[in-house]
Amino acid sequence: MMNHFMVLVVLLSLMTCSTTYSEQESFVFPVTYVNISKDLVLQQLVVEWDVGKSAHEAELAMSFEIQVYQTDVATTVWTEFLNVTLDKSGKPLHWVWDSDFPLECMSHSVRIRSRAEISNIWSQWSLWKTVLGLDTSNNHGPQIFPNEKIVEEGSDISFCCIGSEGQIVKDFFLVPTIPAFNHTNGRLGLLTVKNVTHHGSPHIMVYCQESCNETQCYDHAGFFVGKPPDTPHDFSCQTQDTRTVTCTWSPGGDTYLYGRHSPKYVLSDEFSQNPILCTVSCSEQCSCSWDIEQQKICNITLTVENPLGKKTAMDVFDVTHRIYPTAPFQLWEECTDTEITLYWKLQNIGIELFCQTEVLQPNGKVEVHNSSAGHLSYGSVTLRGLQPYTEYKARVHCGAAQDFWRWSEWSEAQTIRTKEAAPSGTLDIWREIKPGLGGRNVTLFWKQGPKFQANGKIISYEVTWTKVEDASEPESISLSSVCNSTRIFIDSHSYRISIMAKNNVNYSLPSVLIIPTGPEGDHSGSELEEERVNGTDDGIFFSWEPRHIYDSYIIDWCNVPALQPCDFQWKRFGANTSSALISSAAFVPGVRYNFHVYGSVANTATLLEKKTGYFKELPPLFDPVVENIELTFNAVTLYWDSYPTNESQPGFLRGYHVYISPLQEDCSLKGSKKHVLPDNSVLCKYSIDNPEEKRYTVKHLLSNTKYRLVVKAYTGGGENPIVNFRYIDTPFNLNILYLLLLLVIVPALAAAICLWKIKWVQECCCPVIPHPNKSRVLSFKEFNIGSEKVLKISDCIPDMLAVDSKAEAQKLHPQSPLSSTSTAEKTDGHSSSWIYAKENEERDFTPTPTPQTHTWFANFAYSSHLAVDSDSYQIPETLEASKPKLSVALYQPHYYDIFNEDAASTPRETCGRKASLKYISQTPVHCLGRRL
Amino acid sequence: MRRDGWLPGVLGAVTKGLLILWAVPGQGGRSLQHPTLQQVQALVRHMAEDAQELFTFYEKDQGLAIGHLCRTNRPPEWLRGPSLGTRGLRGLRGTMTHMAQALQDITRHQRDLNPPGAEILRRLASAHLKVRGLLNNLEGLYPAPSPHPTRRLPPGPTAPTKVFRQKLEGCQILWSYSRFLVKLNTLLETRRLRAHRQRQRAHQGSRMPMSS
Repeated sequence: MMNHFMVLVVLLSLMTCSTTYSEQESFVFPVTYVNISKDLVLQQLVVEWDVGKSAHEAELAMSFEIQVYQTDVATTVWTEFLNVTLDKSGKPLHWVWDSDFPLECMSHSVRIRSRAEISNIWSQWSLWKTVLGLDTSNNHGPQIFPNEKIVEEGSDISFCCIGSEGQIVKDFFLVPTIPAFNHTNGRLGLLTVKNVTHHGSPHIMVYCQESCNETQCYDHAGFFVGKPPDTPHDFSCQTQDTRTVTCTWSPGGDTYLYGRHSPKYVLSDEFSQNPILCTVSCSEQCSCSWDIEQQKICNITLTVENPLGKKTAMDVFDVTHRIYPTAPFQLWEECTDTEITLYWKLQNIGIELFCQTEVLQPNGKVEVHNSSAGHLSYGSVTLRGLQPYTEYKARVHCGAAQDFWRWSEWSEAQTIRTKEAAPSGTLDIWREIKPGLGGRNVTLFWKQGPKFQANGKIISYEVTWTKVEDASEPESISLSSVCNSTRIFIDSHSYRISIMAKNNVNYSLPSVLIIPTGPEGDHSGSELEEERVNGTDDGIFFSWEPRHIYDSYIIDWCNVPALQPCDFQWKRFGANTSSALISSAAFVPGVRYNFHVYGSVANTATLLEKKTGYFKELPPLFDPVVENIELTFNAVTLYWDSYPTNESQPGFLRGYHVYISPLQEDCSLKGSKKHVLPDNSVLCKYSIDNPEEKRYTVKHLLSNTKYRLVVKAYTGGGENPIVNFRYIDTPFNLNILYLLLLLVIVPALAAAICLWKIKWVQECCCPVIPHPNKSRVLSFKEFNIGSEKVLKISDCIPDMLAVDSKAEAQKLHPQSPLSSTSTAEKTDGHSSSWIYAKENEERDFTPTPTPQTHTWFANFAYSSHLAVDSDSYQIPETLEASKPKLSVALYQPHYYDIFNEDAASTPRETCGRKASLKYISQTPVHCLGRRL
Repeated sequence: MRRDGWLPGVLGAVTKGLLILWAVPGQGGRSLQHPTLQQVQALVRHMAEDAQELFTFYEKDQGLAIGHLCRTNRPPEWLRGPSLGTRGLRGLRGTMTHMAQALQDITRHQRDLNPPGAEILRRLASAHLKVRGLLNNLEGLYPAPSPHPTRRLPPGPTAPTKVFRQKLEGCQILWSYSRFLVKLNTLLETRRLRAHRQRQRAHQGSRMPMSS
């Protein structure tokens, strides 16, 4: 039962499937035919196919899968799904495939299958339909495809070269050489350039060569690399007369395609009945004009096209809104002294125009005046508030008053001069008064100051002067317009002087000066001191003491003081001013300028201060002349002529510098400063700050030395470079000679005399047997025996004893435990101690102080109770050396020190030590108290 | 900045300019007068140098300096020769008329390939002017009997042909033209030397009896 049921289920399922499948199969409409062709110009494959008629009848929505296959490379290069809804017309279906690869190069095959939308079953593929490439043909010589292709920059391009049958492609390359993928397979060569760029060459060549060497074994092709045109920039249209429209535009970037491939511009008007006959090929600014007759609205399309693309630009406009009038022309004017009415002509286009007049003033400022021209064929504008007798430049441009689009070009500029008027303001006048015979010469100066306007051409100046005190008849002179000064003579009375300028219209207001009473000029006799002032980079600056009574100040000076006339100048300042920077292009360095400061009240001027100064001080022109030189062995005194300090100097004299140095070496004299010359030699410099000084002494010179020296004057501008020196020789110093004489000759003379009188001297100074009474030994008062003095031995405290080593002495003490030999040795020992100390000095040797007290007595009389020590510092050599001396020094005094403190002390130190006991006997033997 | 060769270049250009001023009648503000044979010879010499330079530049600029593509041994009919036969330089007029037309055609082709003002266009225009100058000289030297001394050739084909073919043809014409001028210059020079020697011989011959 169960098995039957299972079989039934399976059967039912199969039946259902079978029914469904057969139902679906009934919706499969296979492709009935495929036709394929190639369009080599467009490089397209055109495919045509169809499905069953029933599908058309059913107006089925169908999908088709189309495959394109390249035979030579055995690759399906394209697969596309196409959805189509069939119609009842039963027309076959078409599909076009654009090939990137030249279709000539190889065979291409196409197959198609279909599927109805209501079904999920694809039909069987149609059979491959093939269009053959030229690689199957029997051509003579190689052929390159494509040729003369125009390629957009940045894209890829592929070439093939098909060789002759039986030949192989040997070479396939580009000129100029650019990177490319090259593949050669037998008689077919393939070349692909990726992202091709413009290489400066307009035309890239492709060469192909077969494996033979004849001319026909070559083929050549070429291609262009360019860019599609840019959309035209700044495309706009306008009209000057509402009848002719002109459109302008900029073409954009270079397309690298020239000649017949260059971009072509075509204009068209949608609203026009007539085509615009305007095809333009332009490189920079493009334009096109055409007649629109009565047309008011335009819709202009500009199309630019080259083989790589097409761009458009549009402009839709009302003609009356694009009015660009022609420039105004034929300008003329009417003018007074302060007004100009300017007229111009316009092209009458029936549209109200609005104009602007630009006026260029003499000071460079520009004013714009607006005016309306209405519908007239001329326009005008009145310019007011102008300066008399002044030149103005005016030009006009116009635009539509309503729906303004653009100003016209400017008209030609018109130069207009206003008419003259009477001079306004007053002349700036000044005077210079100099005493004359029986009066004063007054030189009057005038100039057109900032407050004065000539308002025309000045034709003369009128000068009038009259006495202030009485009502005498005024005197008057008229001077030419070229004059700016005149001289009049007046007596010592007070005078009122007025000066006026006159032009063709009238006189100016008078400028008045009052010359006060006085016989003298304004500068002379003044007690004012001249104050020095300093120049700056911008001029000469100075100040003055303000006085409240004056309403203005005047400063005058001469620009060229050395000349006559001196180019007299003056400048006015207000009452609140008390300083001025006087600058002039005529100021030159090294010239002294004199300034006079006047205070003015009620047209009467009074000299207040005098200033003098330089724009820039310069060094003096020459050096002081050294008239006299006084020379000693260590000093030199220089005397020079008085040096001028007046205005002939190019600066204020500040003093002098004296330079000196030994001829052969640099100078370093005491009290001087160092001055280094350009040659690096060093001079000693002494400054004298008093310009009146005329002498100077240089001390501390070396005698018998050659010196060079110079005296330089200096100003605020410094001094001139040192060029010339004077040379001196200091004399020999005689004092040294005298000293030498004194030190050498006198002692020598004394010594000679001593030598000559040696006996007498010996007798006198060092008798063999001194007179007892003359000996200091007996200069005591202790004990007298008769006429002789007796010294108690107990009172005698000897400090030093001299030993007479003569044989007589030895005889006196035959039992002495200290023989003479031993005494001599001791003496030697002591003596060597002195020598030793001396040697210490000489060798700079410091011996270790010995605390031992050693007192030596050669005299046996004292030796009994005195300890005798040997000298531990004795040097054997010294001792040896001293022995022969002792043997010959038979009767020479010997010195014995009692060293209680410092055994290492030198004899000199010992002598200098007052605390130590010392007794130096000239005759030690006597000191021994032989008489006692 | 180094400017090696600048001075010789300038001097060469000035020399050429002066030569043209002398060789072409009416140049340099002079009144028109018949040219001399020497002037024609000088102009031919200059043109021969110029044509060689033009060909070299063209061949390289156009990417044709491969396998001597341009250096054909088969020049066009009108550029074969030259032969200074019985007609002498008169026969040159026809060649130069053709050459002027050929240069115009080459220039037109090159305008499709180059921006305005390109060097090749400038050189072609210069060569064309010189050919026109030589034609004028020849007209002055050998006035034609007919009122239309130079037969105007119809303009070249304007229908677009393959760009490469045009370039190659232009290149081959320029090569043949340069060869032609070199040979012509050599011939003229030989002629001039021969004439000079004959004159010298004649002059010496006329002086011999005097000296003997």
